[in-house]
Amino acid sequence: MLEISDLYQSFGERIAVDKLSLTVGKGELVGLVGRNGAGKTTTMRAVMGIFQPLGGSIKWSGRPVALPDRLRFGYMPEERGLYPQMRVLDQIAYFARLHGVELAAARKQAQKWLETLGLEGRGQDRVVALSHGNQQRVQLAVALVYQPELLVLDEPFAGLDPSAVDSLSDVLRAEVARGTAVLFSSHQLDLVERLCQRVVILEQGRVLASGTLDELRARLPQRLRVKVTTSVDWTSGLMGTEVIGSDSEGVLLAIAPGTDTQALLRVAMAAGSVEHFGFESGGLLELYRQLVTS
Amino acid sequence: MTGITTLVAVVLIVGPALFRPPTRPTVVGLVGPAAQALAPALQTTGKAAGVDITTASVSDDSAARSELTPSRTSGRGQLGQLLSSLQGGQATLDVALTVDSSSATIEFYQTVSPTLAALVRAVVQEAHQRDVLIQGGVPTSVVGAAQQPEPISTVTLLATQSDMAGRSIAALAAGILLFVSVGIFGSAVASGVAQEKTSRTAEVLLAAVTPSQLMTGKVIGIGLVGIGQMAVTVGAALIANAVVKSSAVPPEVWTLLPAILLWFALGYLLYAFGFAAAGAMVARQEEVQSVSAPFTVFLIGGYLLMYASIASPDASWVRIASYVPPLMPLLIPARLALGHLAIWEMPLAVLIMLASIYGMARLTGRIYSTSLVRGGPRLSWMAALRLR
Repeated sequence: MLEISDLYQSFGERIAVDKLSLTVGKGELVGLVGRNGAGKTTTMRAVMGIFQPLGGSIKWSGRPVALPDRLRFGYMPEERGLYPQMRVLDQIAYFARLHGVELAAARKQAQKWLETLGLEGRGQDRVVALSHGNQQRVQLAVALVYQPELLVLDEPFAGLDPSAVDSLSDVLRAEVARGTAVLFSSHQLDLVERLCQRVVILEQGRVLASGTLDELRARLPQRLRVKVTTSVDWTSGLMGTEVIGSDSEGVLLAIAPGTDTQALLRVAMAAGSVEHFGFESGGLLELYRQLVTS
Repeated sequence: MTGITTLVAVVLIVGPALFRPPTRPTVVGLVGPAAQALAPALQTTGKAAGVDITTASVSDDSAARSELTPSRTSGRGQLGQLLSSLQGGQATLDVALTVDSSSATIEFYQTVSPTLAALVRAVVQEAHQRDVLIQGGVPTSVVGAAQQPEPISTVTLLATQSDMAGRSIAALAAGILLFVSVGIFGSAVASGVAQEKTSRTAEVLLAAVTPSQLMTGKVIGIGLVGIGQMAVTVGAALIANAVVKSSAVPPEVWTLLPAILLWFALGYLLYAFGFAAAGAMVARQEEVQSVSAPFTVFLIGGYLLMYASIASPDASWVRIASYVPPLMPLLIPARLALGHLAIWEMPLAVLIMLASIYGMARLTGRIYSTSLVRGGPRLSWMAALRLR
């Protein structure tokens, strides 16, 4: 398990990460979301030892992360890093060798990942000759080729076409099934919602919220949509509710915990004909917006 | 690249040798019996003076002039004629000598070596003096005894002077080797680091190795490849030189070779760490040259000072400048080669150099760990060192 505790890092006057804590268990896929500059990349770089953080601790299997541990971590940085003139197969095998894999096994694994990621027949091409999407696949192969125990992927889906997104999603699910711990960041919240067991939302270097989608929803007031055909303003004076939206589909009410919704229904029915009365469970995007603005 | 460099080096050595006319003795044409009588004296005097002279009897003056004129179509076939014209043709005679009772004439085509001209004049003069003395009644034995050369021994007061040319060549070889190698491979280190930084490969690499491992591997790796490439090129050039006997390598170069190689390695390490730091500070590949300018200036400055130090190796400024670390790899070998380095100075210089390399490696390591994965504009040296 990866355990990040009270991580602190500043660059000059700017605090990038402030007392940040999170965990990623084996066989768990955790999504890191947040606006630009929220601290996602700094957190991932700290895990990979790209810099020594000013405060806090990062542990793997209960021990502070050291270089031998990081040799078992796979990393895909936000800005891709490959030797442009090196051949694809050689490049993947080279990074496998760097992580301690024997030459023959490295080339065999590299070939396997080329096929898995749909790059069969491109092994002898130079990286610079590949499209952006294919270069991204090579970068992913570089992170996966030595069968890592932890995958740290910074924006792995950025710039990929839908079929590549599906292919990468399948690979991540397979890795999780193998027992790999995966921490990945993305601005594509629908993907995070679809793939991740847990989500960590960062804001200004701090953890704003974390947990499963249901746990995150529980942190917010329930939302009730009611459509009543009436000419009177039936929502004024309601106890424990707040109107947070109104459109042709009715009014959207935020319901405080403990509010008697049956009493609410009765008030609506008294006001007119109730056409719709139901709870809304927004997706991650909606949750993110609510959490960041609240 | 190495193949092309090696090929060029071999061609530069073998090419001139192919077009060089074969060496032959200097041929002196003797016109008439009086001149022909001087043949033994010319050969003996030539041998004593280290000039290989053969003589040829020529019937008359017009035949001599014809044989003094180079033939431009002496080669066989088109290739032979081409080679012959490139070589400038070859005359049968180098000098023609005509002697009569009252005068002597030395003829040549365009130029003649002053040594050869003086040698022929001396032989003619000696024969003339002999004839005059004998005609004046001096006994032949006395004339012969008078013309016997007095044994003259030579004494050289500055004993090392005889090998100064070889020592100067050794000093130059050391300086040129370092200047060219650091110029090429030091720049390769800076470009390689800058490429890994700008392509963001460094970030992936630093997930598997420490900054100091990455830096040391880069410097030593490129250094070893560079030494291998230089060895191939220099080795091929030496073999080509030995085969065509183009020019002799002074023995002093071989004697000083271990010291030359030691200072080459020390100099390379000092500069390569500096170039690595420069490469880690750039934002774009094009900035490598300007960021590494301080090292380039020291390298070129040291190279030029090396020539000045060969001219006056015992000057005080040379002694002082040779202890400035970036100049040491160029000036210490020059002082050593020219015999102006005291015994105690060599270990002191090596110690100072090792300390400088250590300091430079620490400095580069610091810049590497803070600047290599940093985005944004190019960093100044001060800004890079202040980063945490």
